[in-house]
Amino acid sequence: MIDEETLAQMNGKYVCPPDAGPAWRAAMEYGFDMSLIEASLKLTPEQRLAEHQQAIDFMIELQESGKAHGAK
Amino acid sequence: MAQNDQALLMRLKDSGLEFVVIGGLCVVYHGVPVATFDLDICCPFGEENVRKIESAVKDLNPVHRLTANKLPLEETRSSFKDLKNIYLQTDLGKLDCLGEVAGLGSYEQVLQQSILHSMSFGKFRMLNLDALIAAKAAAGRPKDLDAVRLLQAVKERKEQQKDLF
Repeated sequence: MIDEETLAQMNGKYVCPPDAGPAWRAAMEYGFDMSLIEASLKLTPEQRLAEHQQAIDFMIELQESGKAHGAK
Repeated sequence: MAQNDQALLMRLKDSGLEFVVIGGLCVVYHGVPVATFDLDICCPFGEENVRKIESAVKDLNPVHRLTANKLPLEETRSSFKDLKNIYLQTDLGKLDCLGEVAGLGSYEQVLQQSILHSMSFGKFRMLNLDALIAAKAAAGRPKDLDAVRLLQAVKERKEQQKDLF
């Protein structure tokens, strides 16, 4: 049986680290997905750059594909 | 159109140009995953340094991307000594070279606020986190101010957890 809190997290509820400071909480309340920042901070700087490159390559490919198929 | 920042960085380094990585890639470096489609650096200018930039990208069909006719870089050599910034489109992506950074100052001041980081493809200077926050705050566009909010959160987190980089 999955409890209500776990279900909420499965549905996208972000659990703020209990020791998060005011800047972290302010960014969260502003609407940023802080789970992405947490995930990024677990990587080394070089891994972050490599992930970024992969994402950019994919976005450019999508853009080119969209153009080839007449997307405006 | 490709955007291969690693290849551009390696070419710039091989050219002998001194530079500090600024802008979106630096935001990513410090832990905020934003999508950025250009490589921004700050470097000293003057004819000799612009020639180094040219040598780094000369086989990549570089053009001044903000000029109406996309002027080829090689056709503008007579103006190299007068340039304070260069905005290029190359076969490996967009490369913006700035002589100074708003909120930080000249290249020398930017250099003083940078850190040398060793990566598998070389050692590169990146703006430190405080300087990046100051630069983004000075830039002041909505996307820059969004980055400031996130970078401040990252800074706070890194101060709490010393093992984070």
